[in-house]
Amino acid sequence: MKFTLIALAVVVVATLRISRRRRRRRTGARAARSVSSRLSSDVGLIMAREVRERFRGRVFKVTTLFILIVVAAAIVIPVLHNGKAKPQEVGIVGTLSSPLRATVTSSAKSADVTVHFVPESSVKKAKSDLHSGRINVAIVDGGELLVTSPLSSADNSSGAQLVRSVAENLGVAKAFQAAQLSPAQSETLKGAKALPIASVEVGKKNPGGGNTNEATSLIGIILIFVMLNQYNTWILMGVMEEKSSRVIEVLLSAVRPIQLLTGKVLGIGLVALAQASLIVAFALVLSKAVGSTLLHGSAPLVVVSTLVWLVLGYAFYCWVYAAAGSMVERQDQVQSLVLPLSLPMIFGYIMALTGASSGSPGALLKVLAYLPPTAPFAMPVLVGFRAVTWWEFLGSATISVVCTIGIARVATTVYRRAILRTGGRVQLRAVFMRTAR
Amino acid sequence: MAHVLQIEDLCRRFGALTALDHLTFEVPAGQVVGFLGPNGAGKTTTMRAIFDLTDLEAGTITWNGSVVGQAERRRFGYMPEERGLYPSMLVGEQLQYLGRLHGMTAADALAASTSWLERLGIADRAGSKVEALSHGNQQRVQLVAALLHGPELLVLDEPLAGLDPSGIDVIGEVLAEQARSGCCVLFSSHQLDQVEDLCESVVIIDNGHLVVTGRVDELASSGPRRLVVRVEGDRSASWAEGIAGVTVSEVTGGEVRLVLDAGVDSDAILELARGAGRVTEFVFERRRLSELFREAVK
Repeated sequence: MKFTLIALAVVVVATLRISRRRRRRRTGARAARSVSSRLSSDVGLIMAREVRERFRGRVFKVTTLFILIVVAAAIVIPVLHNGKAKPQEVGIVGTLSSPLRATVTSSAKSADVTVHFVPESSVKKAKSDLHSGRINVAIVDGGELLVTSPLSSADNSSGAQLVRSVAENLGVAKAFQAAQLSPAQSETLKGAKALPIASVEVGKKNPGGGNTNEATSLIGIILIFVMLNQYNTWILMGVMEEKSSRVIEVLLSAVRPIQLLTGKVLGIGLVALAQASLIVAFALVLSKAVGSTLLHGSAPLVVVSTLVWLVLGYAFYCWVYAAAGSMVERQDQVQSLVLPLSLPMIFGYIMALTGASSGSPGALLKVLAYLPPTAPFAMPVLVGFRAVTWWEFLGSATISVVCTIGIARVATTVYRRAILRTGGRVQLRAVFMRTAR
Repeated sequence: MAHVLQIEDLCRRFGALTALDHLTFEVPAGQVVGFLGPNGAGKTTTMRAIFDLTDLEAGTITWNGSVVGQAERRRFGYMPEERGLYPSMLVGEQLQYLGRLHGMTAADALAASTSWLERLGIADRAGSKVEALSHGNQQRVQLVAALLHGPELLVLDEPLAGLDPSGIDVIGEVLAEQARSGCCVLFSSHQLDQVEDLCESVVIIDNGHLVVTGRVDELASSGPRRLVVRVEGDRSASWAEGIAGVTVSEVTGGEVRLVLDAGVDSDAILELARGAGRVTEFVFERRRLSELFREAVK
């Protein structure tokens, strides 16, 4: 949350600096100081109108409710699913001593499953039950495990974890028996732990909870994609409606274009931040209430990173969409603009989803994490994998802020020159001609 | 100090089209000034230029001697030709918002919007969305948006278009009242009869440059004298032909309009008319604004 507030403050300060610099050119520094409060008051008024109108709108209410329902489902369904998990059916061919049964039970516990032993009359019968799905695994005379198909190293299902754990622990237990160790000696050996390994250089950690972070990253980038699309569309449509309804002429007879644009962008941005904060708070409370592991481990870091990149992503794209909105005045003209504008977002989103699902971030994703159009999707995935240091994160955020300032300057020029040109879609070339309005 | 808006040497081209061609005129305080010209003459471009809504290739616009900037424009009121309001915003809220953008406090904006809506007879629509109002009422709301903050200059582009006679009367009263209170009022219209009734002065432009400007009374009485004569039973008005220094302008239904050169004795014309029969009408006529307009832009 701290990162989010800092990022928001940086964007606001950058925007106000652009406005102030233009003002100083015209009226001089002293005059600029004297009207400073007036200008910020105008931006505040415009921002307040945007916030009020958006909060009132049905679209905001419906979208917020929809996202909350999806988030609730993502948190609650896995918990319910885990709670109702069926025990793993373990077929026993021949005999299995009580100590070895106890070993299987404790192995199952470590894999977060329960087991139910099923006596099997023969290996043939056990194979038949494996094929029919009646049992999940069979232990033959305490010395061999039978499964339906070979286990792949990428298979992290609870069934696969159970098989690996049982195979390892039964092997150790049989070795203890063969060595004829006393119960006390066996317990000592069971309690053996690997020696700690220290390195002289700081390396990347990948502690437990990887699956949880992965899931949180996935939900995060989906949210960023949905919300960036929603709020950027609001910006585009809002600017276009002001142009097409001609209210823009009345507004610009009282305020400057940069004030109008800044107020709109900040107003809608505040609504976006409020909605995102509400969703995160809801997710935290619900997760705690139902005992979900979705926000355990380092997942809160992923959540904070998602919020930061939602703000940075919005700050970057909002100017682009505002400039685009000023160039059109009809719905059909909007359609032809939306796809090319969305392409970088769609590309970043797909690459981030693929990276998060694959289990390890590729080189391309690491490059995309430093490009402002795709960083909002790629960087939270890297954070989820703990594949990025704090200074790399800060470096990417700085690149994004610097590019946002550049984009904002170009976008305000386009907006100022295009917003009053009516009668058809404005071409960029016409915008940059000397006399454009 | 009385306010004055000065338009000096404005030039603006749109590709091959010259919208403003060294246009110069001024709008003094205390008068309603009609801004006239045929379609495409440059009226709207001039009004937009006052609010920096179009770029200029040359020229300056000054207010009380200083170049118009954002601070001055905030004290002006503007009603654009293509009406501009947020369609789905409530009338009252929208007016207060626009008032506050012009520097009013929330309380002042509320009081002023309530007062003006009552004055224009639409106080009961303050809670309605703009899109739910009739065209005439939307026009009234747009006028309130221009008047709300007590502007020093009021610029209205076609404010009478689409209004019924009672709406025109109300707007006429408001404009006259604003001018009396020291406001500069500039408005464009194609309804010349209404302009003649409402305005003290007119500015007529054509092809982007000034063709006529002055007080309506002076313009109407300026130029050669115009005489209307009717002789009972004489429909051809042949008696008026060939009189030195007199031009027959029009003969309709036995009524003849004569244009007299300077120095022509009207008594001599009366005698000639009497010679043709009983004179039932003999009056000097002011030029109508519509005639003045047609002469200016032909």
